[in-house]
Amino acid sequence: MAKTAHKNQLAPGISRLSHSKVFSKRATYKAKKESKPKADAAEAKKAFVRKPYVKEDLVDVLTAKKNELVQAAVTPRPKHSRKALRAPKLRKSITPGTVLIMLAGRFRGKRVVFLKQLKSGLLLVTGPFKLNGVPLRRVNQAYVIASSTKVDISGVKIDSKFNDAYFKHEKEAKLKGTEEEFFGKEAQKKEHPAHKLADQKLADKDIVAAVAKVPYLASYLSSTFSLTKGQAPHKLKY
Amino acid sequence: MVQRSFKRLVEVGRVVLITHGADAGKIATIVDIVDHNRAIIDGPTTGVSRQVIAYKNTVLTDIVVKRLPRTIGSKALAKFLEKEQVVEAWQKTAWAKKLDARKRRSNLSDFDRFKLMRLKKQQRNVVDRQVALLRKERA
Amino acid sequence: MGRLHEYQVVGRRLPSEQEPTPKLFRMRIFAPNQVVAKSRYWYFLSKLHKAKRANGEVVSVNEIFESQPLKVKNFGIWLRYDSRSGTHNMYKEYRETTRAAAVETCYQDMAARHRARFSSVQIIRVASVKAADVRRPYIQQLLQPKLKFPLPHRVQRPAKKADRALIIAKRPSTFY
Repeated sequence: MAKTAHKNQLAPGISRLSHSKVFSKRATYKAKKESKPKADAAEAKKAFVRKPYVKEDLVDVLTAKKNELVQAAVTPRPKHSRKALRAPKLRKSITPGTVLIMLAGRFRGKRVVFLKQLKSGLLLVTGPFKLNGVPLRRVNQAYVIASSTKVDISGVKIDSKFNDAYFKHEKEAKLKGTEEEFFGKEAQKKEHPAHKLADQKLADKDIVAAVAKVPYLASYLSSTFSLTKGQAPHKLKY
Repeated sequence: MVQRSFKRLVEVGRVVLITHGADAGKIATIVDIVDHNRAIIDGPTTGVSRQVIAYKNTVLTDIVVKRLPRTIGSKALAKFLEKEQVVEAWQKTAWAKKLDARKRRSNLSDFDRFKLMRLKKQQRNVVDRQVALLRKERA
Repeated sequence: MGRLHEYQVVGRRLPSEQEPTPKLFRMRIFAPNQVVAKSRYWYFLSKLHKAKRANGEVVSVNEIFESQPLKVKNFGIWLRYDSRSGTHNMYKEYRETTRAAAVETCYQDMAARHRARFSSVQIIRVASVKAADVRRPYIQQLLQPKLKFPLPHRVQRPAKKADRALIIAKRPSTFY
């Protein structure tokens, strides 16, 4: 048998005792299930104090004489995730001004201009709206082909207000259990907020001007990408 | 001995186009014949190093370097090739132009393809109009 | 057998009281690597002299490289092989650029024409032969001063196997 450093493990990662055996030996079933009062996340953080180190060797615990009077009070605590949210690396072929071909979603096939990468890792793109109807929008770089064509937007300033929060959808109030859920909400088209319309116009103004400097570029952006007979997408150069 | 119907022969001085391997697409000259399947080729002016190659991996061209001695060295061969202007003669052939056009076309970017489409449209517009006019005159 | 190389193997019997400085034996061996070369060395030496690996040692092994690997030569190969009914001596000629390549095609040739495997073929001598001394007509025909010949039947294949069409509507043109 393979020897391991832990005496309560058969092999690394495999416990000597089964889950149910541990459950009965620990007498966890005697513990009352406490309903944890919901606390504010910030408050919980403050309240958390590192507990003194307790020997938690499983075999020690199990071989210890059981004290019938003491109930094992084990309240399950969710595991703290140590993963940090990191933005994915931007593909080398994508730089500000790169013309991208959208591959999925409502605007698939459209050629758009890349502006910058947001904190979440999504790409901020714009049609420009005037040319092909694609508004300022976030896209995942996995759903995009980077072309070698670049629009010179070095002189264009991108407003810092275009962050992930700007594009967040407003949550609709849940209609569960109401009459409206059953019969369907009255068709009420939401108006696009006027300030966003203005933002779009302002942001696109310089980009459209930059596009106009290069012949055929404007009509290129307003046309859509498609494959014809005999074209293999993996063999094409973009 | 050799039948006249065959236009291209394996011989010392024959220029071949390499179709397979690392040198694919380049031309070289036969310097010596090994046997019925292989020859020694060299292309000092086209970046092909001297090597034994199977005829299977080449195509013979119409170009021949005349009076090339057998097993000529690379430097002397380069002089021969320059004097006979072999590379220029090759580039003038329709075959070489076709290969070049194919290569250029496959290297076009998406935007280039779009511009090409637009220019062809313009060309068609002019040509078709003229053809239609001529047709009308004939009828 | 992988690609053959030519090795020079030098060895001798182990020194003893009767024979303090034993004679050195040098052999040119064609083998895919040095390990096989040493093994073949003892195989041949035990046939020729009273010496074997148990009472001998290999002094040195080095590879012999072709001095002009880009010049075509005519090689004559003398060999011995065991057929199903007896042992035969043979002389064959090949046109190659290196000695090792000539021996390799010789092994292929022997396997093809006589079903003789590597183990039943022993190369005796390999020598490059002057054009005037070439005996075999299949080599002589390649030695004409102004050699020319057509490639009468060709199917042009695409450079990459992946580009090859499985089914085509037209028969290939084989005219060249």
